[in-house]
Amino acid sequence: MLLYLIILAGSFFLLTGSALLALRWALQDGQLRNSEKAALLVFDEEEPLGEVTDAFPGAKADPTNLRKPGSLP
Amino acid sequence: MKTPTSSLFRALNPSDAGNTAESKATLAEIDGSCRRPVLFLFTNSLLWLLGGTVLALLASWKMHSPGFLADWPWLTFGRVRPAHLNAMIYGFSSQAAIGVAIWLLCRLGRVPFMQGGIVLAATVFWNLGVTVGIFAILSGNSTSIEWLEMPGYAAYILFIAYALIAVWAVITFRFRREKHLYVSQWYLMAALFWFPWLYSAANMMLVINPVRGTVQAAVNWWFAHNVLGLWFAPIGLGAIYYFIPKVIGRPIHSYSLSVLGFWSLALFYSWAGLHHLIGGPLPAWMITISIVASIMMVIPVVTVAINHHLTMVGHFKQLKYSPTLRFIVFGAMSYTAVSLQGSSMAIRSLNKVTHFTHYTIAHAHLGMYAFFTMTMFGSMYYIVPRLVQREWPSARLISVHFWTTSLGVLLYIVPLSVGGVLQGLAMNDPNVPFLKTVELTKPYLITRSISGMIIAVGHVAFFWNFAWILARRLRPYEPPVAIIAAGLEQEVKAGLAGDI
Repeated sequence: MLLYLIILAGSFFLLTGSALLALRWALQDGQLRNSEKAALLVFDEEEPLGEVTDAFPGAKADPTNLRKPGSLP
Repeated sequence: MKTPTSSLFRALNPSDAGNTAESKATLAEIDGSCRRPVLFLFTNSLLWLLGGTVLALLASWKMHSPGFLADWPWLTFGRVRPAHLNAMIYGFSSQAAIGVAIWLLCRLGRVPFMQGGIVLAATVFWNLGVTVGIFAILSGNSTSIEWLEMPGYAAYILFIAYALIAVWAVITFRFRREKHLYVSQWYLMAALFWFPWLYSAANMMLVINPVRGTVQAAVNWWFAHNVLGLWFAPIGLGAIYYFIPKVIGRPIHSYSLSVLGFWSLALFYSWAGLHHLIGGPLPAWMITISIVASIMMVIPVVTVAINHHLTMVGHFKQLKYSPTLRFIVFGAMSYTAVSLQGSSMAIRSLNKVTHFTHYTIAHAHLGMYAFFTMTMFGSMYYIVPRLVQREWPSARLISVHFWTTSLGVLLYIVPLSVGGVLQGLAMNDPNVPFLKTVELTKPYLITRSISGMIIAVGHVAFFWNFAWILARRLRPYEPPVAIIAAGLEQEVKAGLAGDI
């Protein structure tokens, strides 16, 4: 019983420990710097910032929400 | 442009990938490379959704009409209910999650998906494992362990299939041509790493070489709770963090807040599962730590909720125009609701009432359906037209799907939660006979069956639209509106001609 509880508790610590290791890598690799750049990673030259990319079939996206590609929302 | 799929060795060794690190793949290349594996995963997941829905309706009906199909051993409640759960968790949800994760990792890494054939083969194995497992449950060979009812031999097949899928997803991630990570990639990679850990450890300790005594319950809830929070929730959140900004064309309100949300979930969530065993014969410190971790989960939940809401502010009108956004925002709001509800259910005084009642069932469906499933539906509405290069055939079917599933699940959750609280209060009253506590839930159980039928209509509408769009691929090319708006028509045609 005690052994199993130790294994179970160890799993809790290992899961948390793996997250801490990943956090350490992220810090060393600079992944947590430059959050402005990271926030824009969903956009690219083909689907740029400011472009609405989904609409019901046969309809156009809300025209009032469409902006020139590249302009700030 | 040829993708680096010509040899297995090249896919295993980044140093042999030539100059691919410099050139980011076009969206047409990425969608072309994901087409077969992701559509195959989605097709199988939706078939399991339909099968799981039938099993759900049978199980729900039996709760208020126990004589219904009672003479068929294969269709007794004790078999149909776990068969429904496993069909939904491993058949529908996991395959939808893997498909969405593969597409998102390729899109965010700006890299085509490599060795799609192996993922196709792995998907066949996965479905074989689920089929064998569901058959075993229905034939009376369930392990009777919540969320792990499939026998060990089915679990082996699932684990091998998952390993193949995950390894190739990780390799695709390793070859990414955009080195900086977006928050969705953190969520997706974490989920792909956590799931095999949870699944293998729980199977080892509960099915293959079972531990004894109350530790079984501890391991069981460590797995069952974490598979929600560390497998489905991260993939759902990763999708939400991608699709809300993508659809409205505006970056997430606070990227720093999104990162804080991810890391706090990673650090706190794995401790929370044992609040399901409050009052059970386990060391008090384990339960207490779980309660504390459950309350600490308010931090990631609130950061995510604030971030999603402030990103949407000024853009709620888009809900009228975008099917993806409708489902995704519904899922995001449900995530906040289910998480705060979950934290509250860890409080001992409230747990004393809600434990062992239908309130917990309503809570589970708020999480797995209103949050996760709706988010997967929204993701599919965005991804499938880009893979098939066709518009969804019917806007009406999309509307039917949204309104039946959203209203249906609310009709499921709200009455059942009320019924669950009344049931809990009655069970805690020693003057109320137990049979009365069962009878008082009957109106809420009948309401649940009705809501289930409404949701089933939505599932059929979605499957119909999905089959229709796949059939449309056989016809001459008609570009979707979103692709015309983005000016990608020529590129997509070129991609189709090359059948990337």
